[in-house]
Amino acid sequence: MSGLDDRLSVLKEKQSSASLQVRTFGSFSAVVDGQSISSKTWGRDKTLQLFQFLITARSRSSLHREKIIDRLWEDAEKDEGDRNFKVALHGINKALEPNRPPRTDPKFIIRQGITYQINHEEIWIDAQAVEDYIAVANEARGTNDNIAISAYRSALECHSGIYLPNRIYEDWSSEERERLQVLILSAYISLAELMLKQQPLETVRLAQKAISIDNTWEDAYQLQMKAYLTQGNRPAAIKSYQQCVKVLDKEFGLDPLPETQEIYDSIM
Amino acid sequence: MANNNDQTASFMVRFSQKIYEDGKGDAQVQWRGKISHVQGGDKENFVEFSDAIQFIQTKLSELTKQATINKSPEEQEGILTRSLDIWKKLSATGAKMAIETIKDPRKGVAQIQEQISQVGEDIGQRLEIDEWLGAKKSDYNDLRDKLQQVTTQLASLHDKVDKLSKKKK
Repeated sequence: MSGLDDRLSVLKEKQSSASLQVRTFGSFSAVVDGQSISSKTWGRDKTLQLFQFLITARSRSSLHREKIIDRLWEDAEKDEGDRNFKVALHGINKALEPNRPPRTDPKFIIRQGITYQINHEEIWIDAQAVEDYIAVANEARGTNDNIAISAYRSALECHSGIYLPNRIYEDWSSEERERLQVLILSAYISLAELMLKQQPLETVRLAQKAISIDNTWEDAYQLQMKAYLTQGNRPAAIKSYQQCVKVLDKEFGLDPLPETQEIYDSIM
Repeated sequence: MANNNDQTASFMVRFSQKIYEDGKGDAQVQWRGKISHVQGGDKENFVEFSDAIQFIQTKLSELTKQATINKSPEEQEGILTRSLDIWKKLSATGAKMAIETIKDPRKGVAQIQEQISQVGEDIGQRLEIDEWLGAKKSDYNDLRDKLQQVTTQLASLHDKVDKLSKKKK
């Protein structure tokens, strides 16, 4: 087995073996040892928000307590902020580990002095999985397209909507939402390209998914046109082009790129 | 005191680069942008950056209107006039500074320092400009974003002051 194959297997294994599974796309859910945590168990919204904030900031090696308080309780005085943080953190630990014995360290949230971070060893997060799968896929592309296809597919299977939709108006989540959306769009395009010769209809489906996320993504229209052409479906290819022209004109007041025009010319 | 969330507007800007050959075989580049207002959820696509600035300006105007809704017209005018002295000095070079900072971050920082010294320590402390001298590239990107925000706020304030001046006349 190649190194990339191993990495892919490890990622898939983690998805099923982690004791806490967190889904952030489409709608939020957390499942501990097979049991879904209800909103009643989370209690206060700030408890859930703190957990989602820690999930969002997962790539940071550790988060200073004061920085967290600044972001989530920005209007609170210091003592009030400290108290709110303590209550919310206690709420997280209680929701995730209701039977944790007293004076033992929490399993999922690691504390080091006044810094906090999530325990990556114990938690599977769909957003992180997407990133990891895409990293493997990008590396495999060109040298081992089968692994690339499998990894892109796994990444896209994890994606079921926008990142933390219940927090779209929260400043702290917007950067991650945007970053993930661009990552997902590029994965749809890459996979659509890889499928073009073997399964053009799959390319069409993937391109349409990309367009449903961002209707100005011109690469997706190009792939859709090429796939329809490969299928011999000239009217559908023309329709894709017309849709592209209409959208780009409406959104930017622009014509399609010469590359898109060339594909269209080849149809005519 | 108003909640900070009521006094804050965040914007996310995405740029997509398109490089293509024109009819003569010359390489051309095109930038397509998308700007979104985080707190309100509205989005807009743009090609000209001035359209993005217009979008930001509109949102900031709404924010100011909301924040001063309970104040008398005189008080509103007072707030704007007091802000004007600081903002006007920055507004003339704000956009240029942002662009030059992107091209040459250190030169940009030096220019900003000069500007800051002209408008007083208060603004200097807000931007924490000295810390940027040893900054990383990502820090310069943050600085660039902040400058863009400042530039748009200046433009918005300019508009308001112009309107107030016209009213006075």
